[in-house]
Amino acid sequence: MKAAKIFLNGLLNENPLLVLMIGLCSSLAVTTSVANGLGMGLSMTFVLVMSELVIALFRRLIPPSVRIPIFIIVIAAFTTIIDYLLQAYQPALSKSMGVFIPLIVVNCIIMGRVEAFASKQSPLLAAADALGMGLGYTWVLCGIAAVREILGAGSLCGFSILPDSFEPILFFILPPGGFLVFALFISLGMWVRTMSPLRSDARGSFAHKGDPEVRGANYVKSEDDKRSDEK
Amino acid sequence: MKDIMKMTAALIIFSTVACVALAFVYEGTAKTIAVRQKADMEAALKGVFPDADSFTDITEKITSGDKRVTFDGKEAAFAAQAGGKTIGVAVKAATPGFNDAITALVGVGANGKIAGVKILSNTDTPGLGANAGLDKYYVNKAKGTTFYGQFTGMSANGNIMVQKDGGDVVAITAATITSRAVSLLVKTAAEAALTWLKAEGSHK
Repeated sequence: MKAAKIFLNGLLNENPLLVLMIGLCSSLAVTTSVANGLGMGLSMTFVLVMSELVIALFRRLIPPSVRIPIFIIVIAAFTTIIDYLLQAYQPALSKSMGVFIPLIVVNCIIMGRVEAFASKQSPLLAAADALGMGLGYTWVLCGIAAVREILGAGSLCGFSILPDSFEPILFFILPPGGFLVFALFISLGMWVRTMSPLRSDARGSFAHKGDPEVRGANYVKSEDDKRSDEK
Repeated sequence: MKDIMKMTAALIIFSTVACVALAFVYEGTAKTIAVRQKADMEAALKGVFPDADSFTDITEKITSGDKRVTFDGKEAAFAAQAGGKTIGVAVKAATPGFNDAITALVGVGANGKIAGVKILSNTDTPGLGANAGLDKYYVNKAKGTTFYGQFTGMSANGNIMVQKDGGDVVAITAATITSRAVSLLVKTAAEAALTWLKAEGSHK
């Protein structure tokens, strides 16, 4: 089913953080603890799904020349909604994530997917893409946060899991450590993809010319195939 | 012309719908948020004055004697009462730390001594400045005194400065800027609180 394929796309093959490499700024800052990473991932997924849905639903009513301001209005509205909801019902999480919740507005993943996908596809496919991308973002955040929290604070989700004699390696909580762990994840992702039998699908992600960051390889595959077939 | 009409109409409609939706969500959550914030403040005040049974807002009557330390605009100071008598004043102050502003609640008892200090917000480096508010970081391991705990019992108009500057405050190792900032905050807040207590007549 097309929707299922698009959903899985965002999780692995075109994971926004590991493959498309967009939306990196917020991911480094919030991955100091798994609770923050999970909270951020789920909040961003909510904004992404709602924004892609709304924009896909009304895509024919948006004049192309003002589409960017309208996208921003929609994204900012949903970001503010999740900000209020978190402040009211998850105040501890809201406080620890601080300014990064409002910063979801400028998360490149949301703007990128809305512009490249939701504005041109049906609501069902847009929602599948949003869920895939959002959950792909979330699992990478949690993975990086888990490594950084265990090594940098000796805990996981606030529970100390390493013995007291373990001296936390502060490097991993600070930005340089974040970059390092992130790089290791990207390498791991690349290695997994070269080993996997899905290699033929992955060819599109790297060899792709012309804006691979915001267009999925699967999305323009048919045009590329036609062109390469003609050769 | 028609294009401009279309563009304007689209923008107006989207903005209006977004604003209405936001207004609904705001209304729905405003009460919960306000209750939460009040509860947080009450918890912090109770932490500093556990014996108090009520707190009165005296924000307008307290002013900071140092430009570097600012008192919160809306809820800067509360007088703590127990059994109708004022037992102390809690002042919420902020000052620039190493990274960003540090906010803390400083309580001064009616006896002129600091009743307690609670760090409310501190974004300094973990392992260094962040230790200011941690309850696991001790300046005196034998007695179990935390950095913020050492202020309890100090005289409100005493020598509240780090030892490097000639005072009694034990600084956090390798975090002098944070230690100095917190000391300045506590000193200024405590002095302002003491001034009010003396003026009001509660100071014994």
